Amino acid sequence: MEGQSSDITANSANRKSSAVTGSARKIKDNAADWHNLMMRWEKLNDEGFSEATNIVNIRLSRSTGDQMLQVDGSPSSSSSSSAASSSQQTGGAAELQDKCSKLKDIVDRMVAVVTKMERLMTSQRGIQELEEFQFGPEGRKFPLFHTWNTKQFEDSSRVLLDSYRQELRLKQTILQEVAHTATSDLCMVYLSCWLHQPYVPTETRLTLEALLLETGHRPL
Amino acid sequence: MSKPALPSLHQALKKSFHSLENNQRIWKSVLVECGPLMVSLENLAEQSRALSNVQISNTPLRDFPELEERLRFKLLKSTDTVLFKLNEKMSSLQSVRDSICNQVSAVFQLYEQNSDSVDLLTLTERSAATPSVSDMLEWLQDAERHYRQQFVRRKTLLQTLRADDLSALEAAPKRWKSIECPSAEDQITDTLCKVSFFIDS
Repeated sequence: MEGQSSDITANSANRKSSAVTGSARKIKDNAADWHNLMMRWEKLNDEGFSEATNIVNIRLSRSTGDQMLQVDGSPSSSSSSSAASSSQQTGGAAELQDKCSKLKDIVDRMVAVVTKMERLMTSQRGIQELEEFQFGPEGRKFPLFHTWNTKQFEDSSRVLLDSYRQELRLKQTILQEVAHTATSDLCMVYLSCWLHQPYVPTETRLTLEALLLETGHRPL
Repeated sequence: MSKPALPSLHQALKKSFHSLENNQRIWKSVLVECGPLMVSLENLAEQSRALSNVQISNTPLRDFPELEERLRFKLLKSTDTVLFKLNEKMSSLQSVRDSICNQVSAVFQLYEQNSDSVDLLTLTERSAATPSVSDMLEWLQDAERHYRQQFVRRKTLLQTLRADDLSALEAAPKRWKSIECPSAEDQITDTLCKVSFFIDS
């Protein structure tokens, strides 16, 4: 993956040499940006998953601690042990807070990624509108690259953007809830949602590859 | 008469033990690679079970359309991928088994072809560095049987696993481990030690 992403960022050198200009240039750059943003998202997803796992572990170990405290009997009976456990709990709370803010940082960076994706979408729509203005509602006669018309670029961008938008909403919900959940099953569901990204289906990867193939980033 | 047959038998035995040594190494390394895959099967099954235990409509995730179906689909898909990888490992194990079986049956064939010309005394004669031919044939057969049984047991276990059969997936790592037969594996290592002077001579 790293190799691939550097492949495309290295394209800034190719930009001068290749003769692509105008709308085609813009579309090609957008495709590279889509690739890079999706790679960045994956990386953030991995980082976020390990933070979320930490949070769940702290959370679950604390809740079993609470239960043990209840089983022990009334907290007043042994003041020293309860004091020790409460200090342990505040220690745990500080750690939990720390992990939560780290996870929040990651989600914030994911928000930034999706914002950039939205910008790509806007730019794609702009290209489409420009083309309608230049060539009328049917669009240009000859495709910009191999076979796709300009509308198809907009469509694939929309598919990608919709996936990531919805996935981001899911991540934001998980961020809000994960540290307040005591049932291990629900924690597990949060984690597996985070890891498996239900709203980013495997087809998104295919859509991206199609985009890269059409714009010539990947050799035919 | 017995003299010309013995060196060729020895040669064939040496070759078989060399191949056994290599194959044992490959077998072990493939099994090591299977361990984490088995654990991830169990892990995915736990995630699926947790998903079944949770009523999504009663959680903060209720506003997400088709969340359960989508997540379940992804979990099944990951499970399938792991099962596929395990099946690839099985074909490596199969080729190890086949290679051992072929070697051993070649040695036995050679022995049977010459069994008239090799007398019992020559077969059972041994020295400090060279075990007797009959012992070595027996050890080879033991090793072959071990790998054949191991392979069938592991293959059978894998064939009973389905991506939607959670309890079988959860039990898989334990059952996989229980198939292991360290004593037979040690026996083979012992054998290789016993023949080490012989195969290097």
